[in-house]
Amino acid sequence: MRNTLLLFVALTSVTMAVAQDHGGHQPTRSGTLPTMPSDLPRWISSPGADHLFYKAAPYNWAIERIPPFAQDMYGTGVGHAMAYEALVTGRKAQLETKVFETIDRVLQKPPRIPVDEAALSPTFVRKYGYLEKVFDWAHILHFQTIDVLTHPGWSDAQKEAEIERLWSFYSAQPYAITGLPMNMEYLDSFPFSGRFRSNYPKVNGLFWGYHWLQTVNYDMLFRVPVQDQAAQYSVLGSQYRTTELYRMRDFMPMTAEMSPRFSKRFPMIANAFDNLHMLHDNVNDILAAEELTEKQRQEQVKIAIYRVLSSTHKGHEPGSGEDVPGSLHDHRHPTSTPGMGFMKGMEDDVMYMSGMGWMDMSVCAHCSIPLPDGPMWGATVTADGWTMLVRCLMCARDMAAETPGRAIIRAATEDPSRILVLISDEEGILTSNIPGVVFLEEFGEHPECSAWSRAFTSKSAFDQFVRENPDLAQSKPLSLDAWAQINRGTPDTYRKIDRPNPYRPEPTTGGSR
Amino acid sequence: MKLWNQFSKSLALVAVIGAMGMTSIASAHEADCPYCKLKLVQNTKELDNEVVVKVGNKRIEYRCLYCVIKDQKRYKGDLVVYSPSEKVGAPVILKRTGGKWSAPEGAVFLNTFKKHKDCAALSRAFTNKAAFDSYIKKNPSEGAKALTLDQFLAEVAKN
Repeated sequence: MRNTLLLFVALTSVTMAVAQDHGGHQPTRSGTLPTMPSDLPRWISSPGADHLFYKAAPYNWAIERIPPFAQDMYGTGVGHAMAYEALVTGRKAQLETKVFETIDRVLQKPPRIPVDEAALSPTFVRKYGYLEKVFDWAHILHFQTIDVLTHPGWSDAQKEAEIERLWSFYSAQPYAITGLPMNMEYLDSFPFSGRFRSNYPKVNGLFWGYHWLQTVNYDMLFRVPVQDQAAQYSVLGSQYRTTELYRMRDFMPMTAEMSPRFSKRFPMIANAFDNLHMLHDNVNDILAAEELTEKQRQEQVKIAIYRVLSSTHKGHEPGSGEDVPGSLHDHRHPTSTPGMGFMKGMEDDVMYMSGMGWMDMSVCAHCSIPLPDGPMWGATVTADGWTMLVRCLMCARDMAAETPGRAIIRAATEDPSRILVLISDEEGILTSNIPGVVFLEEFGEHPECSAWSRAFTSKSAFDQFVRENPDLAQSKPLSLDAWAQINRGTPDTYRKIDRPNPYRPEPTTGGSR
Repeated sequence: MKLWNQFSKSLALVAVIGAMGMTSIASAHEADCPYCKLKLVQNTKELDNEVVVKVGNKRIEYRCLYCVIKDQKRYKGDLVVYSPSEKVGAPVILKRTGGKWSAPEGAVFLNTFKKHKDCAALSRAFTNKAAFDSYIKKNPSEGAKALTLDQFLAEVAKN
């Protein structure tokens, strides 16, 4: 009797939070477990396999056109499967040693064909098969969108239309993850949140490392001619294997951080990938939480799935949720970035990015002037693990030049179907995908830099532009070599946002020599 | 008209930035030293701190001279290093040409830091011994000794 009473007191003292929280609270790390929603989809409790497969299409497996990239992507299927199997078979103690070494070995020498995750994690799949349905379906979307972008022979317009169709195909199934932006701080605010990355930082580093790969690749491919895609992977693949897999991040890489151009075009897909990756983090944390019983784990995994399912958010709109901040239906996004949910400490477009510090995503990362509108979208710089939007080629060149390591610059030319891809080596020597590229750089005021710093696919295109812009009549075309040697340093318009890291407020003092 | 709109937007942005309590003009992006991974130390009115390596078309900032020497293997080409000295705006310019380092005549070096948080202050170049002595008088450091370039390179190589 006494034991029963104690149990009753213990149970009633645990105040349960409800998964569909419309209370409008600001998220903090809650001490209470979310409870099962009343409208949990029935398929989550069904033992059926319900295996779904690729949309039949001519582009399937086009990823194989870039073999090292394809293999690295196949390797990503291994990590979580091995870690999940270890977590559910009582091998937590080996995660940071044996399991880490095994996953790392596979990622460094990835498989040549896709891996059946169920074969690597049979125990996990027996227990959490419903979760695999969600993961598998989203991973297929990952691969098929990549296949479309790497498929030769289609125009950018055809590819983008097909990606829209793929999104509809994906969204039509019950296992689809929502394409709405979700509040990441809320999704990381449960009693178990952060447990996995605290207890198993090395393995978590591998996970976030390949989430980096899964998100950074889209701007490598998006509107980039297929013949110019593979060369970029020599930079990104090396960065992935040598640095990103072992980087200690503050938060998981976000798709719009790593592929801002793709995310602007397909915000719903960027959001779905971020929500998927956050579901992975939630599941990691639930499985790592020692205090949870097996029943509680099963429940919390189901609730975590429910939170990100498309069906849960039916009728909600991107940008809504101001009245319920930090809750399940907080679908606000930065004004300039519809493909990203709200992050910790974010104020509209200002957010903290690992490796960059506080950034305003609506302005050029180099000169802090608002990004131009329209099809001449400026450029992006990918270096040292980040990708940043900049206003003009001058900003791109100078930003790449002040960043250690190899870099990729992607920039608009006068021809919307020909993106300039410049690859910088360790010493800033650039190679171009357009052999006859010509540059305009008639240095003037920074707020106008996107008008006087441009690239052209040929001298004749340059001449035509100059003819149409009499202010530039005296401008001389610059070759790649001549242009690459110019360096105008950090613009005086640049503003650094100086605030503490919201994830890790304590500054590091560094190690010894 | 479009340019004017953009310019107006920029002015508005500067006003917003000011209102948000952000810092004034900064000389470099938020960046960490490529070698020790700590934040770069910005120049002040009294003392330069930014060590700049020019290699090919790159201009990379480091936190201190020690970090540059430790990280030099990543670069194959010739290097020019602008190392802050005792005088603002007058760096000691070191060169690595064909793999061989050189420094201006009379330049001496300090290298006494124990933790990298102190490296910017305690791994530095000076135009001459008198400047070194004056710096150490203001910033005492145990075991401080004016090193020649060769001695400095050997010291860094030992660690």
